[in-house]
Amino acid sequence: MTEVSIERLTKTFGTARAVDGISIRIADGEFISLLGPSGCGKTTTLKMIAGFEEASEGAIRFDGKDVVNVPAEKRDIGMVFQNYALFPHMTVDQNLAFGLEMRKIAKPEMRSRIAKVLDMVQLGGYSERFPNQLSGGQQQRVALARALVIEPKILLLDEPLANLDAKLREEMRVFIRDLQRRVGITTVYVTHDQAEAMTMSDRVVVMFGGRIAQIGAPSDIYERPENLEIAQFVGQVNLIKGTIIGAAEAGKRRVASVFGEVAVDSREDYAPGTAVTLSLRPEAIELRPEGQGGAAGKVTARYYSGSIIDYRVALDSGETLHVQTFPNIRIAEGDRVSVHAPADGFWLLGAAK
Amino acid sequence: MRAARRKGLGPLVLIAPAAVLLGIFLILPYLNIVVMSFRMPGQGTPYGPGFTTGNYTKFFADSFYLHQVANTLWIGLLTTAICLVVGFPVAWQLARGTMRFRALAYGLVLSPLLVGIVIRSYGWTILLGNAGLINRTLTGMGLIDRPLPLMYNALGIVIALVHVFLPFMILPIMAGIQGVDPSLESAARSLGASRFTAFRRIVLPLCTPGIQAGCILVFVLSLSAYVTPSLIGGLRVKTMAVTVVDALIDTFQWPWGSALALMLSVTGALCVVIFARLTRMKWKVARP
Repeated sequence: MTEVSIERLTKTFGTARAVDGISIRIADGEFISLLGPSGCGKTTTLKMIAGFEEASEGAIRFDGKDVVNVPAEKRDIGMVFQNYALFPHMTVDQNLAFGLEMRKIAKPEMRSRIAKVLDMVQLGGYSERFPNQLSGGQQQRVALARALVIEPKILLLDEPLANLDAKLREEMRVFIRDLQRRVGITTVYVTHDQAEAMTMSDRVVVMFGGRIAQIGAPSDIYERPENLEIAQFVGQVNLIKGTIIGAAEAGKRRVASVFGEVAVDSREDYAPGTAVTLSLRPEAIELRPEGQGGAAGKVTARYYSGSIIDYRVALDSGETLHVQTFPNIRIAEGDRVSVHAPADGFWLLGAAK
Repeated sequence: MRAARRKGLGPLVLIAPAAVLLGIFLILPYLNIVVMSFRMPGQGTPYGPGFTTGNYTKFFADSFYLHQVANTLWIGLLTTAICLVVGFPVAWQLARGTMRFRALAYGLVLSPLLVGIVIRSYGWTILLGNAGLINRTLTGMGLIDRPLPLMYNALGIVIALVHVFLPFMILPIMAGIQGVDPSLESAARSLGASRFTAFRRIVLPLCTPGIQAGCILVFVLSLSAYVTPSLIGGLRVKTMAVTVVDALIDTFQWPWGSALALMLSVTGALCVVIFARLTRMKWKVARP
């Protein structure tokens, strides 16, 4: 059971700072995701935790012990790679036994541990198969089993679902999350897929350009993003211009906008009269037939995708909104609509630029 | 119907040119050699009338020739072993090194192939001879009193052959290593294997086909090399290939030369088979 503490960790390649002084404390048993676009330093961070990449500066502590100078093979980590990295010349059983052999585990214990883990990943009958006789999802589970069978201090996953098709990816998210809960292992998960990070993690670390943009629970990141970049990275967002009127109840500001006066959640204080940008998530918006109050507008496009309908709505005030609703309302392209947004659908992103 | 016929003929048409070439220029001459090796020696002609096994009894009766076969095999083995030891690290760097290094190293590896084999072998005689560059430099520096025997012996032949055949070792091994996903090493190390263990247990078995190909190529090429051994070995050290050419062209004994050539082929092939069996992969990549 391990607590991981990363302190001012930096990695420079020449003059480029791939990872720029990041600090994260990961609690024992916590599932943390490093989320960001490619090149944001998330994979480099993971490699430094694993020991495949040397840290230029800073410390990585496992339970208080700095491991920066400990080689990868002595760090006691379990790692799952994007391409699974199963040994193609070994059977599933041999793949799983490899880490146990390195630890000089006695044969009988080895057998029982392999059987237990294979059972856990639901691959009981597959121990004599070679990796290329397995499907992508099965290979993925073998990779997980191989990382877990050595009972490592920390589990590291590097975009493990990137090579799977959409349906399997969703299944595996739940599978990995449940498995991690059951084993209770401290886990660091690298992904560029915000939905993956949200569904699986206790906390998400959003990274841009080698730095941490925000750390928080998935709901925090999604509902209270620190800035526009984060808001846009973790989902679709409508930007609404507003003007501060004054303070409202606890932590809220009264803001005037095209939707009238609303009390909006905010992290910071702004003087009355300040022009601000509000974010409004597409799924928070409600469309009603014309003449029912709210902001008036016209549907310019409608995209039906089964579980939801996407609308583009041009407000009479000139703004264009992206709206997502359940398909139970029947509003057609070209219809005039009343657009309603509840106060808690807004978030005050910051002063307008 | 037509589609099916085309499908059946397609592969045949594709391999036909190669098959014809091989048939005319390899299989037929080989058969001719086999027949020739059983003919009677001629009197002033390349071969005489009638057939005999005498060429082979002569070969096995005279320890001189058996010794020469052993010598040739030994030179081949040594050349292959040195090429492997010298070539593997280069192949590794070529496969895994940085791009800038790779371009330069590629050029260096391929450069011996750009110069004709005769010229290269002459170059070695200039370097290795008693009055050659190496010996002159060493005597000049006072390190040795007498020239080192570098030419007209097996050592000289091996040195020159290594130089000539090194690319044939490096390129297949490089391809083999390139076929091994670098993340497999990372995976092995994350499981607790040292760099060396990761190499031995994971990388080495997976690039065995490349190593096999390189070794077989260099070994076979070394056995059949003629120009380099004849220039550097001179009259003192002869490999089988040199003796075969002597018999066929200089002394005009076609049946005897054919028998010698066949014995060289057979022993070489035997060695390759034994090598392949010994280094046979213990795993098979099963297809789903």
